[in-house]
Amino acid sequence: MNTKKKGRWLANLLNSEKYSSFTVSVLAIILTLITASVLLLLMGKNPLVAFRSFLQGCGFLPKANYGGGSGMLSDLTDFLNYLAPMLLAALAFIVGFKAGLFNIGIAGQMLLSGFVATIVIGYNKNLPAGVAKPLVLIIGIVVGGLAGALIGFLKYKFNIHEVVSTIMVNYIISYLTGFFINNKFVDMLTRTSRVCAPAARLTLTNIQIGGVNCKIPFGILIAIIMAIVVQFIFDRTAFGFELKAVGQNKNCAKYIGVSVGKSLVASMAFSGILAGLAGVTYYLGYTNTIIPKTLVGMGYDSIAVALLGNSSPVGSIFAAIVVTVFQQGANYMSSAVGVAKEIASLITGILLLYASCGGYMKGLARGVIQKDLDREAEAKRAASHKEDAGQGKEGER
Amino acid sequence: MEDYIVEMRHITKRFPGIVANDDVSIGIRRGEVYALLGENGAGKSTLMSMLFGMYEPDRGEILIDGKKVVFHSSNDATAHNIGMVHQHFKLVDNYTIAENIVLGSEPMTKMFGFLPSVDMKKANREIAELSKTYGLEVNPTDRIEDVPVSVRQRVEILKMLYRKADIMIFDEPTAVLTPQEIEFLLQIIDGLRKAGKTIILITHKIEEIKKIADRCAILYRGRLVDVLDVRTTSVQDMANMMVGRAVDFNPHKSEPDYRGTVLKVDHMTVKNENHFEVVKDVSFEVRSGEIFAIAGVSGNGQTEIADAITGMLKIDSGTVTLGGRDITHLTIRERAVEGVSYIPEDRHGTGVVMDFTLRDNLALRQYYRDPFSRHGILNFDKFQSYSETLIDRYDIRSGQGPKTIIRSMSGGNQQKAIIGREIEEHSKLIIFVQPTRGLDIGAIEKVHRQILDERDRGAAILLISLELDEVMELADTIGVIYNGQLLKIAPASTMTSHDVGRYMMGVKEA
Amino acid sequence: MTKVFTDGLSFAIPLLIMAVGAIYSEKSGVTNLAIEGFQGFGAFIGALIAVLLMPVLGNGSQAVIYIAMLAAAVGGGLYACIHALLCINFKANQVISGVVVNILGLALTTFFTSAANTAINGTASNKFVLGVSTRFTVPGLSRIPWVGGLFQNMYPFEIIIIVLVVFFWYLMYRTRFGMHLRACGENPQALDTAGGKVELTRWIAVIISGALSGIGGICFAYSILSQYSPSIYMGYGYLAIAAMIFGNWNIGTTALVCLIFGFAKSGGQQLCIAAGLPSNYSDLFLMLPYILTMLLLIFFSKKNHPPKAAGEAWDKGRR
Repeated sequence: MNTKKKGRWLANLLNSEKYSSFTVSVLAIILTLITASVLLLLMGKNPLVAFRSFLQGCGFLPKANYGGGSGMLSDLTDFLNYLAPMLLAALAFIVGFKAGLFNIGIAGQMLLSGFVATIVIGYNKNLPAGVAKPLVLIIGIVVGGLAGALIGFLKYKFNIHEVVSTIMVNYIISYLTGFFINNKFVDMLTRTSRVCAPAARLTLTNIQIGGVNCKIPFGILIAIIMAIVVQFIFDRTAFGFELKAVGQNKNCAKYIGVSVGKSLVASMAFSGILAGLAGVTYYLGYTNTIIPKTLVGMGYDSIAVALLGNSSPVGSIFAAIVVTVFQQGANYMSSAVGVAKEIASLITGILLLYASCGGYMKGLARGVIQKDLDREAEAKRAASHKEDAGQGKEGER
Repeated sequence: MEDYIVEMRHITKRFPGIVANDDVSIGIRRGEVYALLGENGAGKSTLMSMLFGMYEPDRGEILIDGKKVVFHSSNDATAHNIGMVHQHFKLVDNYTIAENIVLGSEPMTKMFGFLPSVDMKKANREIAELSKTYGLEVNPTDRIEDVPVSVRQRVEILKMLYRKADIMIFDEPTAVLTPQEIEFLLQIIDGLRKAGKTIILITHKIEEIKKIADRCAILYRGRLVDVLDVRTTSVQDMANMMVGRAVDFNPHKSEPDYRGTVLKVDHMTVKNENHFEVVKDVSFEVRSGEIFAIAGVSGNGQTEIADAITGMLKIDSGTVTLGGRDITHLTIRERAVEGVSYIPEDRHGTGVVMDFTLRDNLALRQYYRDPFSRHGILNFDKFQSYSETLIDRYDIRSGQGPKTIIRSMSGGNQQKAIIGREIEEHSKLIIFVQPTRGLDIGAIEKVHRQILDERDRGAAILLISLELDEVMELADTIGVIYNGQLLKIAPASTMTSHDVGRYMMGVKEA
Repeated sequence: MTKVFTDGLSFAIPLLIMAVGAIYSEKSGVTNLAIEGFQGFGAFIGALIAVLLMPVLGNGSQAVIYIAMLAAAVGGGLYACIHALLCINFKANQVISGVVVNILGLALTTFFTSAANTAINGTASNKFVLGVSTRFTVPGLSRIPWVGGLFQNMYPFEIIIIVLVVFFWYLMYRTRFGMHLRACGENPQALDTAGGKVELTRWIAVIISGALSGIGGICFAYSILSQYSPSIYMGYGYLAIAAMIFGNWNIGTTALVCLIFGFAKSGGQQLCIAAGLPSNYSDLFLMLPYILTMLLLIFFSKKNHPPKAAGEAWDKGRR
């Protein structure tokens, strides 16, 4: 009896309109932590120590000791520096997803806009910061937007599945930018592209706060503003209303007079804009250089963020923090506990797996509740049957 | 005890939220035609799906030849020589007729003497023979997607015969047939009875029961009301029992009062995505205050006519004029603003966004304009008040009012929401496609009333329906479509349903 | 020129077996964007077994390769169960599931490759060095002018895959199972009422899809550098899906498309060498298969007829 009640309590939480998205995400995180703990235990490591060191690596908890000039605050600003492109990339996925499109080419769009911004503005030594930084953002918006719009156009005009086309375009971008970097912009020492001028960089480095070296990422401001903007667009505007209609039922959207083609292109362009912003905050913020022929894993991590945040823009802020803790804290965890840092991606992958089962969990919960309701109804019916038993017999004849 | 071939005792079946069958007991005699009569949602199909092994009853038992059986799948039912023709045919479109018939019990042979493979040659031969024996003409190598509905139904019947079924269940078999095809089908059923088969006929059409059935069980809201001898019961009594109250067979329909021409379709040709002409050189006019009904067998281009007028499909040649203005090249929204409302055939696929709330679905025609949105920002207060008005005016029932997700509502209420939303536009032209499909009789009556009211208000109504009864009941003018062409346009009063049926099968002027 | 044929074929054939895997899944009604993940995970298991067996069987042993192929098939098939479970039983969105399986696959293989290397030889390397596969030349046929290259320096696995493709063509178009599978993807209700088992058929189809992708993956590993690393699969799974789309879900035409892809790739490389361009320029030619894919998609996507029921979860209760 007790367990049944407990089950129903969880089911109610999962099924409730208000809390369900939140509960599903929290459940996914808990399941992931359990799975990761089992994995760590199998490797002979203490999971609690490992999780603590993830948090320490991100500046949420103090480390045992710090190197010269760095402290908790430097770790925290590093974390925010990485969080910014992560959140923007997740927003990019969400915008496409709401309109029924899977933009898994975010990494490519990031690379292209980061590359163009680097060679056009980053290598221009003469621009003052006040001009260079806005120009970098504008380039990110324009290049990302165009790259996204192309995918939307191909989908609408030629019926090309965006998952296939974005992957193809990813590799084309990767090789193309790789070719140019290797031939024209390479730093012979590091084999990556030459670093950008500090004036163009969206993150201020080597800022002394309270005696420690910190970074000030403008990206995080942009990311949070964009999260609110995206939320507003989908909640309150006719444009967002149309995109949601297209995403959920293209036929109906067409029927009520929405131009489905334009909406697909618009949503992919919007998604591309956000990916472009993620690109410039990554390549001209978090890093200051581009590794040729390499697509960042963030393109996929952002999908985990978006699904974990139940594709809610503001919800993704919290989801992005969770995923970024694993990604950004992995280095310190690796040195502190001695587990390969690739475990961060594995944990993200597991998180993604559980998050994608959200619909099923909700369905299970609904089933449990419905069964209870049916049982009650059955009991009531049986009671009323007894009452009019006389009539019942006559009916059967 | 009688000698029943099938007995179902105290069957109860519930689905999440509803009781589909509530303690139903029936017995069917060998070699009879046994009809199950009831409205949509009365539980007829569910009851028979259990006999066919598609569901298992929550309670109660099934006896075949006096022996208790438990069916876990339709395989088990097939093993007991039970067959079923479903209302929506269960056919694989890109398979041949023979492949469809043998699917699940394929004759096998050995390729190169050792590799097991399906023996299609044998299948084709056997099916040709079978179709000859029972007078069900088909060409075994035709693909299903290339043959008309009536042939598809024959394939379903052959499927049962191929599996040597003795008990045959027909679920609403006449819903999509012309009167002539219905007569042919009833003859086939009679022939099957004479060959010793037991037939169970699920239907809501009382005339058919009168014509062919021996006995008739009436279901109402999941419960068995009565079992009647068809010969000794009147049509009116059966109807009353089926609906649970007295039925008014003919809605009061006033004399038409035509005013000016609203819709003029002139030599319109429409091609589908495969560049195939689905509407060929069609011309007609609909006047204010007139119900113009297009009758025809499914798939003859009628939905494409509606789609072309509303802008969902591109018009290849010809013109469409609304109230004197050429709207041939306007966008869907421009046409809607100009005065076209559209109740589409596919309620779930086109009419609503299933995971939107009722409130948002009711605002789908308005959301982009003042006062629903200003400068692109939505005004939800207006959304709310508008939806409350419509819910009230059109009696839309839902669990939680405006914020109900429309997916969770019943089909009838979803349709009420769509009709309400479209009527509320007060358009010059309202197009209804299959407006009562899947609704129960009470809801059907209401929809018919609404259509007549709009006509009397002065709207031009284009009604497209596969139900000939509906066309005959409502139309002022009937156009019959066959193979993309309007073969005949005439005042409804000058045609009988048999005349219309003849044109529906492509017979030109007699 | 002969090199174009030789290399092109050794790329096209593993691609084909993966495309056949994709066809199996989609024809049964399960949209499958997870080929990339199946291939990576299957190849990982195959390579792991190979690395473990090589010291036992001797470094040059060719038997290892065949055991690795078998292991890759098993590994890919097992990993495919995740996709099957999500799509068939959990009724998750099949596109999301595919993407999730790919991302998880990459993460799993990356982590466990270095973990396995640490366990085996103490260094956290991100690759398994595999033995070199012998090659053979078909006497006679290889001397045919122009196309002789097709029969020179062939890998034994190419023959195995061709035999497998023929077998899976037969299974799909000539057997009872194949007939049920194709019905599943067009109208599962039809199969269900005819007494077939929709969910079981789909499960088998997805597992076949995983097994074939695993074989494709390990063969790529052998043919590219004789080593396995999670990062050698440059979107090949998606190329296989693209090949399936142009091939209109038909094994025969898909085989043709795979050949075109293979020759485009090897042709690009040879062109780069023939033109005497510095190796830096090879990046430009490596883009060719992807650009070609985009162009083909632009010209052919509209006319396609994917299986009708693909992408929809099947619910027995729904009619």
